[in-house]
Amino acid sequence: MAETEARGPWREAWSVFKRNYAALVGLGILALVLTTAIAGPWIYPVDPFDIVGAPKTPPGTDADAVLGTDYLGRDMLAGLVRGGRPTLMVGFFAAMIATVIGITMGALGGYYGGKVDALLGRITEFFQVLPALLFAMVLVMLFTPSLVTVTFAIGFVAWTSMARLTRAEFLRIKQLEYVRAARAIGSSNGRIIWGVILPNALPPIIVAATLATGTAILFEAGLSFLGLSDPNMMSWGMMIGSNRNYLREMWWAVTFPGVCIFLTVLAISLVGDGLNDAFNPRLRTR
Amino acid sequence: MMQTIVKSIVFAATLAIAAPATAQKAGGTLIWGTTQVARHFNPAVQSGYATAMVGAQVFASPLRFDDKWNPQPYLAESWSFQDDGKSLLLKLVPNATFHDGKPVTSEDVAFSIMAIKANHPFSSMLAAVERVDTPSPTVAIIRMSQPHPAIFLALSPALCPIMPKHIFGDGADLKTHARNTTPIGSGPYKLAEFKPGEHIILEKNPAFFIKDRPKFDRIIVRIFRDSNALAVAIERKEIQFTPFWADLALLDRLSKTPGIATTDKGGDAIGPLNWLAFNTKKKPLDDARVRQAISFAIDREFITKKLHNGRSRIATGPIAPGAPFYSGAVEHYKVDLEKANRLLDQAGLKKGAGGVRASLSVDYLPGSNEQQKNVAEYLKPQLKKIGIEVTVRNAPDFPTWAKRVGAHDFDMTMDAVFNWGDPVIGVHRTYLSSNIRPGIIWSNTQSYSNPKVDDLLAKAAVERDPAKRKAEYQEFQKIVVGDAPIAYINVLPYFTIYEKNLRSLPTTIWGAMAPIDEMYRE
Repeated sequence: MAETEARGPWREAWSVFKRNYAALVGLGILALVLTTAIAGPWIYPVDPFDIVGAPKTPPGTDADAVLGTDYLGRDMLAGLVRGGRPTLMVGFFAAMIATVIGITMGALGGYYGGKVDALLGRITEFFQVLPALLFAMVLVMLFTPSLVTVTFAIGFVAWTSMARLTRAEFLRIKQLEYVRAARAIGSSNGRIIWGVILPNALPPIIVAATLATGTAILFEAGLSFLGLSDPNMMSWGMMIGSNRNYLREMWWAVTFPGVCIFLTVLAISLVGDGLNDAFNPRLRTR
Repeated sequence: MMQTIVKSIVFAATLAIAAPATAQKAGGTLIWGTTQVARHFNPAVQSGYATAMVGAQVFASPLRFDDKWNPQPYLAESWSFQDDGKSLLLKLVPNATFHDGKPVTSEDVAFSIMAIKANHPFSSMLAAVERVDTPSPTVAIIRMSQPHPAIFLALSPALCPIMPKHIFGDGADLKTHARNTTPIGSGPYKLAEFKPGEHIILEKNPAFFIKDRPKFDRIIVRIFRDSNALAVAIERKEIQFTPFWADLALLDRLSKTPGIATTDKGGDAIGPLNWLAFNTKKKPLDDARVRQAISFAIDREFITKKLHNGRSRIATGPIAPGAPFYSGAVEHYKVDLEKANRLLDQAGLKKGAGGVRASLSVDYLPGSNEQQKNVAEYLKPQLKKIGIEVTVRNAPDFPTWAKRVGAHDFDMTMDAVFNWGDPVIGVHRTYLSSNIRPGIIWSNTQSYSNPKVDDLLAKAAVERDPAKRKAEYQEFQKIVVGDAPIAYINVLPYFTIYEKNLRSLPTTIWGAMAPIDEMYRE
């Protein structure tokens, strides 16, 4: 066991993570999705907005559009290849915004306690009781639907659970001896919050942030389904949203992007679970 | 919800009982479906078919029209021009009464016409009318400042409801009059009940001034949230008559349902045009060649055949085909990408990096995917072929779009504008330079200005000789289509979906915006 102790916490986590097959499968799918999102446009250089054939062509009937076409005659495959990038970008950046807001609110509240905590807690609760999807819809409608507004809207409604998690971690950690030690040697509040407590509170936050990415992708799909997406950016959610009126005539146009979203969110969940196990010392012996 | 279900059952039961009697011509209940949400039923202060189709059942008008644009007697049994066309004498039927039993007199006609002039959004419709004289209770003389041939169509059921002066003439603002939701008129049906968002019940007017009409004892208009829900109800035979159906994907499904028929006959006077409007004040769209190039790049065959399943017709100009003043002798802008590219070269729009000549945005009227959104989206790849990069701007709701376009804050926008019978009513407003009025939607938001066009329209508005008037409109159409402030795409397809045993459907030029007093069930 001496060997294990010599390894850093991150390598330690990885050794646990890689024993979790489900998490590895998730990581594999995620890697594939990311590769397609980044390299896809070079591998399959068809503009997803180009009309390549007759509208509503079923898959496997036209060599120019193997996965069929949508209601305008646009290539489904091109849409799927290009649609991953905006979808993942919205998911990633929205989760990042949520995490930054959440950590800030939770850290300040948890560390300072008292009136600061009470105030920040009330603000968090205020956002928590608003129906998230409705609130995001209002935000997107107020400003015109675009990739940026959708990202901000999702980030702005999804931070509350992150704030509560961070606050709980801070409340726990600030009692620990090394924090007292830091205070005893005269470290500033800022240094204690960001330099001492936060790094030790990170593991559960990382897990939550990973899962938040999946949630954000679903949110984007939900908003797109309601027609609130950037019409100039082919995302999976937008493909579902704009094709859903023709669901009974063309199953493929919503099924394929739906499967893509499903697999991506599943992969992120599996990876998140794997990380949770890996970072949680009590489960380490499993 | 439960209430609705119970009602449906009760209605169905009524029908089952009424069924043996329906072998005859008259009687029975007609269940009518719509997704249109009318706030009230007074067409005197509101345009649009949501208000007009019920309004035309409740109110009678001086004239009605057949399916060939000929005026027919209605409240006016005869009419004649006097005074070089500056006066129109209407001789009223003697036996018409309002639903409260009071007789319809020339006083009511005079009151209604002046009230419509003051309150209706179509300001050009009765602009020439100065006053209405009432020499006797059955004679009304409309006095005009100049000959106004549009007056005939302006007296249609959809545009000229004759309101009882003793109710609507109480001095309250007509636009917000309390009786607009519970109106009484002299039409074939009385409004019995209106539950917003649920249903409208119309009962037969037994004292209707035309003998043996209407045929149905009752019309129930059920209001549906969206066309999908209405389509299901039609398939389940809960709805027997649905006018102004526009969803083409669902239409294909419904037309295969046994016992149900569809037709696009009727309603020619509406003249609903689907078009792409240009902001002619914005560079590079201020150059007619750029606008023509874009028009040449649009494949209207693809739009009508592929995107609209072959169910819509191509529009060639500002007046809808089928109207008396329509002229096909205009540039048809058959798709020609080479010509489009040449025109752009001549206009000095050279291809820059990545083959892009210019970047333009396109807006669209929210609500109709097939007619508006899909066509706007189609422009993106299509105009890329001539080096124009298109950004689609969507609007979450109608007010957002109307505000943008009204404020002239757009490059190009898809739009749907109706002719409304006479060109003076629905066509002039889009092209007169005097109608460039920022803030007002469906005015000349293109900022199009051509003195020759202004002159032609001014002449045609007062021309009494139909042949001369037609020649003027012909020239107008040629010039406007050539100047291309608008790229005309197609005529909006409006279908009537009905049960096969219905007879004498409303196929006149106003479709279901006219009294449905002849239709019966066999």
